[in-house]
Amino acid sequence: MTSNSKNNDRRALAGVKVLDLTHHVAGPYCTKLLADFGAEVTKVERPGVGDPARGMAPFPNDEPHPDTSLLFAYLNTSKRGITLDLKSPTGRGLLERLVADADMVVENFSPRVMPGFGLDYESLQRINPELIYVSISNFGQTGPYRDYKATDIVEYALGGLMYILGSHDREPLKHALRQTQFKAGTNAATAALIAYFHRLTTGDGQHVDVSIHEAVASALRDTASLFSYIGAIRQRQNTYSGDMPRSPMPAKDGYIVPIHFGGAVDWDDTSDFLGEPDLKREDFSTPERRLEHAKELHEALERGFGRWNKYDLFQEAHKRRGSIYGVVQSPAEVVDSEQYRHRGYFTEIDHPVIGPATYPGAPFRMSGTPWEASCPAPMLGQDNQRIYREKLGLSKDELMVLRASGVV
Amino acid sequence: MSLPLSGIRIVEMGQLIAIPHATKLLADMGAQIIRIETCARLDNYRMQSFYGNSVEGNFWDRAANFYEQNRNKMSLTLDLTDETCLGVLKDLISVSDVFAENYTPRVMRNFGLEYEDLRKIRPDIVMVSSTGYGHVGPWSDFGAIGFTTEAASGLASLTGYRDGPPKLPEIPYADYSAAEHTAFAIMAALVHRANTGEGQFIDVSQSETLTSTIPEAMLDFTVNGRTQQRIGNEHPSISPHGCYPCEGVDSWIAISVETDEQWRSLCHVMGKDEWLSEGAFKDAAARVKHRTLLDAALSSATSHRDAHQLMGQLQEVGVPAGAVLNGKQLLFDPQLKARGFYETVEHDDTTGMPPLPYSSRPWKFSRTPGGARTAAPTMGKHNRYVLAEHLGMSDDAIGLLEESGSIGTGPTTVRPPRVVPLEEQLRRGLIVSHEEDYKQQLRSHND
Repeated sequence: MTSNSKNNDRRALAGVKVLDLTHHVAGPYCTKLLADFGAEVTKVERPGVGDPARGMAPFPNDEPHPDTSLLFAYLNTSKRGITLDLKSPTGRGLLERLVADADMVVENFSPRVMPGFGLDYESLQRINPELIYVSISNFGQTGPYRDYKATDIVEYALGGLMYILGSHDREPLKHALRQTQFKAGTNAATAALIAYFHRLTTGDGQHVDVSIHEAVASALRDTASLFSYIGAIRQRQNTYSGDMPRSPMPAKDGYIVPIHFGGAVDWDDTSDFLGEPDLKREDFSTPERRLEHAKELHEALERGFGRWNKYDLFQEAHKRRGSIYGVVQSPAEVVDSEQYRHRGYFTEIDHPVIGPATYPGAPFRMSGTPWEASCPAPMLGQDNQRIYREKLGLSKDELMVLRASGVV
Repeated sequence: MSLPLSGIRIVEMGQLIAIPHATKLLADMGAQIIRIETCARLDNYRMQSFYGNSVEGNFWDRAANFYEQNRNKMSLTLDLTDETCLGVLKDLISVSDVFAENYTPRVMRNFGLEYEDLRKIRPDIVMVSSTGYGHVGPWSDFGAIGFTTEAASGLASLTGYRDGPPKLPEIPYADYSAAEHTAFAIMAALVHRANTGEGQFIDVSQSETLTSTIPEAMLDFTVNGRTQQRIGNEHPSISPHGCYPCEGVDSWIAISVETDEQWRSLCHVMGKDEWLSEGAFKDAAARVKHRTLLDAALSSATSHRDAHQLMGQLQEVGVPAGAVLNGKQLLFDPQLKARGFYETVEHDDTTGMPPLPYSSRPWKFSRTPGGARTAAPTMGKHNRYVLAEHLGMSDDAIGLLEESGSIGTGPTTVRPPRVVPLEEQLRRGLIVSHEEDYKQQLRSHND
């Protein structure tokens, strides 16, 4: 394929120029989506230290090193990397020159930071009136929580997702890892392209304010409207529901999710399918009785599922009407899964320090325009020479002075 | 003012969330979405979560889940087993920019609505198929919903209490992750089309989109051969980090302390300065090592405090903390309210429903804000409009379709689903409580 050659880049977003002032996870995932689909992304990091995600685990063999955080390596594929001190007047001047040539700026500092640098939307749009300026923050650029501190678990709590995850008789849970950050990053990438599309037709730039808090709250189906519709509040599940559970249940070698879809469960039929005769007991013959004997029903189902290997049960259930069973896969099983393998989801990326490794690949397939991690994540300041000398036309001496003064 | 996506027309054969939520995000920003429904079979989301918990009359136009995903859209009913209707749909696609669907691949195959068919009708069409596990591969024809794709993605295996089974939230979370990526995919395709005039086919595997958001776990396995165990709310290198009980029923606060300074502030707010001289909590490493002890001590200190007050006190001194909000508290949350996150929408008179608040989108545009213009459509509401305006069909031709029952404003056979009475929902643990005066409380929300 020709996609490595810049002029022949067949990717969907080829030609879109992004100045990436993001760090940590939410912002970098936004610009990664743009970059892997072809946008020209220049990542700006703090001289000497860089993006704090460079310090985030996991590392190969658990040995921390600024160029080998696997999370950082994933989040920053296809980007060029430069360093610049945004606090210094010289640094700000250089940034303004870069802004002049960019289609978008993406940043995820807390809301006071960019105005503090004199780099808020109002200032930068004077330099580049068509600029699209995307801000991602914990709670948005306005409102009483604007300056609140947050981590993933706090966004789970205030976003409404935590209250409905876990067991009712225990504390609420969050998902593993950093879902709220990825969720906000995805939404920010969509918003950036909507604004860009608008600019293609009108020439108008604008400021886009993305809230991680709202990214969580916007994806809860009828959790809030249950109150406006019937005055009710959804709760975390009881362990024993007196019905077909919708939570993972143990099979012989792992867990399955026994979803029954459309109409009432046929318990006789389920009994025959699973090979668990107890499910036909009188105790389970009506909704009232099943509720009364909820624990026994749960145990009978466990015996039924426990007769099966999980992938066998998953495959067999799909031959039956109304049974949409799921199979809980560990990361190892995802990598080895026949479906993921068939689709070639995972991709090999050779990083100069990490070496070749297997990464999650395209999040979706486009038939006409490829996805490609066109280069591995940048070393700190790796493209300073190229951007400052070749693009901005600084002399060798000027760049040396900037280095010596810590601006780059 | 024109919106960013004014002039973009999307024909949607969507169900549940994976496609409808994606197009909702675009509809808010000005795209015209025409939803294709059939009178022969109701969308599952027209069949649950009814206003007032009642299925009297036109219940299919009073379902919360349908309204959540489908505002600003139009509804056209077509019986696609009828050749005329199938022809109408193809005509409509020929004057549209995007065709988006989330059925198993065999459905579009059977109707002759695959990408290869559509590009003959409209060479620059963008077609999006969103399926549980992807459009090709051995699992491609397996039905799926958010709970099962979350299971397959790898995320569920990592989520849950220490030593407990995997856990899933009470909403189909993976569908939203898929929908958010799908909205991005559609925009990328539209940008490419604007630049080159080329359409294309987009294949979204819902489980793969979610796997793309757990790279730490995937790379820890592929590089280090390691698989994390389930650790509840713990963080490998931060303590305290968890969810702690507060005063009241099922009331909690999430707290995470990343620095020594925050730790000192936490101790001070909790009135526990003695923890500062406790050897077991002396630095970050010690607090991580003794997290069980620390979590127990902190839980007993938070349990007599009000979650919201405590959040305010902790945030005041820079400690990341958040009250765990339930569905009702979300509606009344001061931040979401100040930003106008819940947008009040008026319903069609035929529904008998008052204006109600609905969640919106996680972004604000300074120049072209977008937002809710109309509620989700009652079934078949735009039959006449779409057929006459977009396809130039005559009144007589439309009348014939109506008479034959190929198009309509309700299901061919009206079979109301059983609604579970609120008392039974309580007993079964589906809801934690219900309040009789919710309508009055909501009026104060709208004020």
